[in-house]
Amino acid sequence: MNHEITHGPSFAVLKVGLQRGDVLTAEAGSMVSRFPRVKMRTRINAPRSAGFFGKLGAFLTALVRKFIAGESFMVNDFSCDEGGEVTLAPTFSGTIAVRKLHGDRILLTRGAFLACAGDLQLKMRWGGLRGLLAREGLFFMEVSGTGELFYTSYGGTLEVPVNGTLTVDHGHVVAFDPALDFRIRLPGGGFLGLVASGVGLVMEFSGRGAVVLQSRNVSTLASWLTPRLP
Amino acid sequence: MQIDLQHRPSQAMAHVVLTPGESVTAESGAMVGMTPNVQVQTGSGGLLKGIKRMFGGESFFRNTFICSQGSEVGEVYLAATLPGDLVVLDVGASKYYLQNHAYVASTPGVDVDTRVGGFKTFLSGEGLFVLKTTGQGQVIAGAFGAIEEVRVRGEYIVDTGHLVAWEDSLQFRITKAADGWISSWLSGEGLVCHFTGNGTLWTQTRNPSEYGEEIGRRLPPRES
Repeated sequence: MNHEITHGPSFAVLKVGLQRGDVLTAEAGSMVSRFPRVKMRTRINAPRSAGFFGKLGAFLTALVRKFIAGESFMVNDFSCDEGGEVTLAPTFSGTIAVRKLHGDRILLTRGAFLACAGDLQLKMRWGGLRGLLAREGLFFMEVSGTGELFYTSYGGTLEVPVNGTLTVDHGHVVAFDPALDFRIRLPGGGFLGLVASGVGLVMEFSGRGAVVLQSRNVSTLASWLTPRLP
Repeated sequence: MQIDLQHRPSQAMAHVVLTPGESVTAESGAMVGMTPNVQVQTGSGGLLKGIKRMFGGESFFRNTFICSQGSEVGEVYLAATLPGDLVVLDVGASKYYLQNHAYVASTPGVDVDTRVGGFKTFLSGEGLFVLKTTGQGQVIAGAFGAIEEVRVRGEYIVDTGHLVAWEDSLQFRITKAADGWISSWLSGEGLVCHFTGNGTLWTQTRNPSEYGEEIGRRLPPRES
């Protein structure tokens, strides 16, 4: 499998060349184009499991992912025995980044997952009760295993190394190292601070690791648009 | 007439230079600015054409910008609504189909006709109508995001929401993204355009209706 990311940073797309045996799992609705010989199989967004109860469990997992974590219920598997190419794009304007995992892990925020290949496990991780207040969901996607992960951002990305503590707006976080401890809390100043500062919930990271931030925030865009609607 | 594209690829704008008597027709709302010697005429180009355009989700009226006789050269700046690139297509030997929202402007010798893109497209929110260009001149097409030029030799599949334009030497049919209706709907891909033959097509790297849906979900419900 080979890949190419073009048209960044504003409108990045991902092109993946598939050989026999390669499978690319992509977010539902992300396909731009493909050769007709590239096969697309749609399946529910949960680990493949055998048996009736395994399938029922997978179905329930996918339901939880859809309605609680705000991820898609279905994902698409692309494969091509004769060799072919598929192009994927995210919904928002921004970049696409690739991360190779060798048994390590990464946490993604909602909407950051675009595609993956190889032997990767996708799991949900609870963001704490405070996350209930966050409009962008309270779950994170934990990706572990060996393979390639493609994730997307709204705007440009910036990788910030943390050694100590770092406080960032929750809506600007794309991904972070699971080695970091994090806390979701209101910005300083209590309730007034939340309203007056214009900052949503903040995430406070501590420890050693890296945080990937995005230069735009979807919630901020929505709150800018809301008073302008008829 | 001279067309050059500025601020590509993210926020492209077309700069059109008209000699006295020359004109350019543009989608309503596309004008950014113009010199005072350019006159604007608003028309539908025929009632039926206007109505057909309205069915296609475009505006009933289009504006024609005419450079006054006996003046200096006139200038018009044109832009699309969403951030993205523009492409200028030469109509003549090649004819094109445009996804209806891609139309930004055309020169007077080009006839732009609204057509139904296939019965099955009735079921999708996008691409029910396509525009066919004939005649002689130039068309400016706009995209959401970057524009990719794809040379098709044989077969190719594009999501209908990512189409900008294609040469009429390509045969196209709108089909389900997957084998069955249910899996097509579940796959989130909906309808795709299946091209066969030899020719060039242009895709946009973002999908306007998908973007609209994602933003729409985060907005308060409309009061009725």
